[in-house]
Amino acid sequence: MNYDYDVIVVGAGPGGAFAAKEAAAQGAKVLLVDRRKEIGAPVRCGEGLGAGIEEELGFKVPREAIDAYINAAELYGPNGKKLELRNETSRGYVIDRKKFDKFLVEEAARAGAEVLVKTRIDDLKKEGSKFVGVIGNSMGEKFEANAKVIIAADGGESLIARKAGINSLATLAETDFGIEYEMVGVDVKDAIEIYFSNYFAPRGYAWVFPKGKDSANVGVGVGGLYGNAIVYLKRFLEAYKERFENAKTVAIKGGIITVTMYIDELVKQNLMVIGEAAHQVDPIHGGGMALAMKAGSIAGRVAGIYATQNKDLSYLQEYKKEWDKKEKKTFESRLKLRQVLEKMSDEDLNTIFNALNDEDLQKVVDGRYDVVVKKLIKIIVDRPSLIKLISVLLK
Amino acid sequence: MVVEVDRDKCIYCGACVGVCPKMAIVLEENIIKIDATKCVECMICAKACPMNAIKKKEK
Repeated sequence: MNYDYDVIVVGAGPGGAFAAKEAAAQGAKVLLVDRRKEIGAPVRCGEGLGAGIEEELGFKVPREAIDAYINAAELYGPNGKKLELRNETSRGYVIDRKKFDKFLVEEAARAGAEVLVKTRIDDLKKEGSKFVGVIGNSMGEKFEANAKVIIAADGGESLIARKAGINSLATLAETDFGIEYEMVGVDVKDAIEIYFSNYFAPRGYAWVFPKGKDSANVGVGVGGLYGNAIVYLKRFLEAYKERFENAKTVAIKGGIITVTMYIDELVKQNLMVIGEAAHQVDPIHGGGMALAMKAGSIAGRVAGIYATQNKDLSYLQEYKKEWDKKEKKTFESRLKLRQVLEKMSDEDLNTIFNALNDEDLQKVVDGRYDVVVKKLIKIIVDRPSLIKLISVLLK
Repeated sequence: MVVEVDRDKCIYCGACVGVCPKMAIVLEENIIKIDATKCVECMICAKACPMNAIKKKEK
C-alpha cells in the first residue's frame, strides 16, 4: 500500500464518511480511518434523524438502516402537558447507527476512498507549522501516512484537533452527557417523545425514540455540572414506571454532547475539523449527525478540490466560509434560546406548555416567534421570569 | 492516589476522553486507559462519566 494520500479523514462516523466520499468524488486519493474494528459500534446516540437532510445532501437513507419511521414529535412539560408537531418538517427516522454508518462508509469506498478499520491515530506528523501526516497504530502495527489535507472527524474525543493546538476542549458547563437504554417491551407510536424536567433531566431532556413495534431508545441528556447521567435516567424510568413496567434493557449506550458554539478554528493550516470534534451539534436538541454530514460534505469537497487542482492553502478556508454563511446565524440564535431555556424552572416550563398549543409550537420551530411572544406577554404578570425568554424571542 | 475506571461499569462511550484537559485518557476497542503520568486527578472525567464508573483510589 502506498502511504501517500491527498486527504486523510480520521473517524468514520457520518461526518467523516461524507467528507471521504465528497473528497473522493473530486478525484482525490482518500484514506478514511477508524479506531474501531466495526464501523458504527459501539453506538453512542439516540439515532434520530430528520428526513430533510436527505434532500439537502442528495442521498437516501437505505431501508435496511431504518428501524422506525417518524411522523411527529411529542413534547411533554414537567406537568405532563403534551405539545405535538406533526407535519412534513417533523418527518424522520430512527435509524440503526451500525447499518447507517456502514452504508455511508461503503458509499465513500464506492466513490474511491480507501478504508482502514482498527486504526488508531495518536498524533500528527508536523513539518514546521504544516501537518504532513498522521502517526498511529493499525491492527497492531505502527502506522504512518502522509496527506495534503487531514480532516479530523474523531467525535467527542476531539484528540486530533487538540493535538493540532486547536482549542476544542469544552468545559463541563458547555457539555451534556447522555445515557440511553435500548428497551424492548415498550409501547411506542410513530413519534419521538421528548420530556422536560429539572428533576430527571436538568438542562437537557429525556427521550423515547421508537426502534421497532415494541422497542425504543430511552435516554436522558443532562448538563455536565449535574453529575452522572445514569442517576437521571433511573429517575425518569421511575417517574414513568408504569410505562416501563415490562420493559427489558437489551443495550446500553452513552456519550458526550457538546452544546456550545462550534469552534472558531474549523481550519488550521491544512487541517480541518468537522462534526462533534468541532462542536457542530445542535445546541437545542443535541443532534449531531445531520450537522456533521453537512460539514463533512463541505469540508470533503473543499479538501478534494484543493488537493487535485493545485489551489493555495488559503483555499481550505472555503470550508469555514461556507459553513459560517449557511449555519452561523441559526446556530447562534439557537444557542441563545437554549441558554434561556436551560435556566427555566419546572414552574416556568409548565406555564409555557399550558399557554401554548400545537400550532404555536410549530411557529416556534419555523422561527416565527411573534404569535408566541404575544401569548407569553399575556401571562408575564404571573411569571415575570419569562421576560428573558420573550426578549430572546424578540431578537 | 490514582484515578481508575471500573471496567465492569464502563460502556466505552469515550465521554471521559473528550473532557480530559490533559489528554491522559485513551480509548481503544474495549480498553480504556488513564495515563497516570499525565493525569492531574482533576476528576472531570468522573463527573462526566454517564455510568459513574471512574473513581479515585488508594494506590
